[in-house]
Amino acid sequence: MSALEAVSVTKRFGGLVALSDVSLDLRPGEVHGLIGPNGSGKTTLLNMLSGYYRPDGGRTSLDGEELDALSVQRRARLGIARTFQKPRLLPALSVLDNAMLGCWRDTRAGFVETAFALPRARREEKAFRDRAIELVHGVGLGHALTRSAGLLEHAEQRFLEIARALAARPRFLLLDEPAGGLTGAEIEHLGRIVGTVRESGIGVLLVEHHTDFVFRICGRVTTLDRGRLIKHGTPDEVRRDPEVVRVYLGA
Amino acid sequence: MSTNARNLALAAAGALALLTLPYWAKDLYWLHLATLIGAYWILIAGLNLVTGYAGQLSIGHVGLLAVGAYGFAILAGTHGLDPFLSLLLCGALGGIAGLLLGLPSLRLPGFYFAMATMAFALIVTELSLALGGLTGGGTGLSVPGFPSPMNSPWGYYWLVLAVAAGVTWLTWNVARFMWGRALIAIRDSEVAAASAGIGLFRLKLTVFVFSGITAGIGGGLFASLQSYITPDTFVFEIGLFFFVCIIIGGRGTILGPFIGTVILTALPEIVAPLAKLGAFFYGLMLLIVVLLIPEGVGRLVEVLIRRFRGEPHRSHEVKPDLPRLASVLARKEDAA
Repeated sequence: MSALEAVSVTKRFGGLVALSDVSLDLRPGEVHGLIGPNGSGKTTLLNMLSGYYRPDGGRTSLDGEELDALSVQRRARLGIARTFQKPRLLPALSVLDNAMLGCWRDTRAGFVETAFALPRARREEKAFRDRAIELVHGVGLGHALTRSAGLLEHAEQRFLEIARALAARPRFLLLDEPAGGLTGAEIEHLGRIVGTVRESGIGVLLVEHHTDFVFRICGRVTTLDRGRLIKHGTPDEVRRDPEVVRVYLGA
Repeated sequence: MSTNARNLALAAAGALALLTLPYWAKDLYWLHLATLIGAYWILIAGLNLVTGYAGQLSIGHVGLLAVGAYGFAILAGTHGLDPFLSLLLCGALGGIAGLLLGLPSLRLPGFYFAMATMAFALIVTELSLALGGLTGGGTGLSVPGFPSPMNSPWGYYWLVLAVAAGVTWLTWNVARFMWGRALIAIRDSEVAAASAGIGLFRLKLTVFVFSGITAGIGGGLFASLQSYITPDTFVFEIGLFFFVCIIIGGRGTILGPFIGTVILTALPEIVAPLAKLGAFFYGLMLLIVVLLIPEGVGRLVEVLIRRFRGEPHRSHEVKPDLPRLASVLARKEDAA
């Protein structure tokens, strides 16, 4: 089956068990929410799927093929893109150049071809520039195309990271608290962007604290608490689960 | 577009000035100085990709310069090979030396990498002393020139200028296409670079080997210009000098380090009192630039304009264009 999966994964940091026997599968064309209190292991799981950590137990896989031995780069090349809790942009470069960085996945021109400006390097440059311009406008940053990324406001940085991730034409997009620090109106825009991404067939994993937002746009939701999976299901099932209410949502 | 036209005009004027320099230079000493700057620049242009773009602080490129210089003296001098063939072989030699140095050291964190390059430079100097049979030891080697018409000062200047222009064009291409963005990503955020699929070590090693090739060629041309080399020609301070040229010029540009190279090479020669200051002058320049214009002199005009005009601050609501987003996401492969 076509999916990005974590199967019974466990992760320890010294004596701390960050994840314990947690399973999650992300399918193409769905938005899958991952919620839980601070320190419950959400970001650890996202980092494990994108390759920053190896599981101490269990495994991660893509379309049934094991991923555990693959580096962050190899996974990016297989179509797993992500954003970061604290946006990691290149402040010295323009918005457009930042978005174009995502096109590295499709860059075939090697160093020598590039140094001599051979046709493939020129052709790729043109195609990638065009793709990135469309994406930058698509996420609503057309007004800032040539501005240096270091001068962007917080929301703009978050949306640019999404454009950069999409420039890699990913199959799966992992968003680490994309609504953090956004205003209500900006969260609305984010929701529409995520919806459009989902409709294009990309599977979106949404790690988020804004539970209203998660329950509104996700098809399925997984809840973690202190490294354990406590509930998995549709938004309605999760919202009504007594354990979820007790540890996270509150009465 | 008007700025583009202006830049083009400026570049054309600069190229014309460099090309005709032998006709307007005051005397042969100026021409010699310009040729020296050219030979240094061939190395620094390559090093700029390593240091200014990929952010790897190499302070030991003088070792690679020495490899090229001794290589040329031995191949073209001792063995009497054709100078042009020797120069190509110097490039290969520099590239191999760069590969051997880069393989173990480029995985090290910044400070330790810098130390490794310093150790390399010191080892090369010691080896050039120890391998007397090959290098002439402390006495050194005399270095042959190039055949006519490159045996005249202006002929040699044009040769160096042509090579320097070629190397500059190569680095400019690397900088403006995807590789340039990838290298800057390695410099400014390894995490972002990795998540975009950029193989950090592979790219660092590639540009480091390229900088070894340019250092080898620059070294060969440098040696022939000096016509005599000894281990004292390649003191460690020269390695620092290359590094400082790039930092003073500004990271992530090509013009900046070029201006840095010109200023740092020519000023102590033109203004005699500065020459007496020696390394103190470089240190002072570095301090001034780092404290006052950390972006480098290459960005000075840009920074001044921004400071006087102020950055236009517009608060824009981010308004996604969803049909446009959907249409680009629906595209099948549009890459070349």
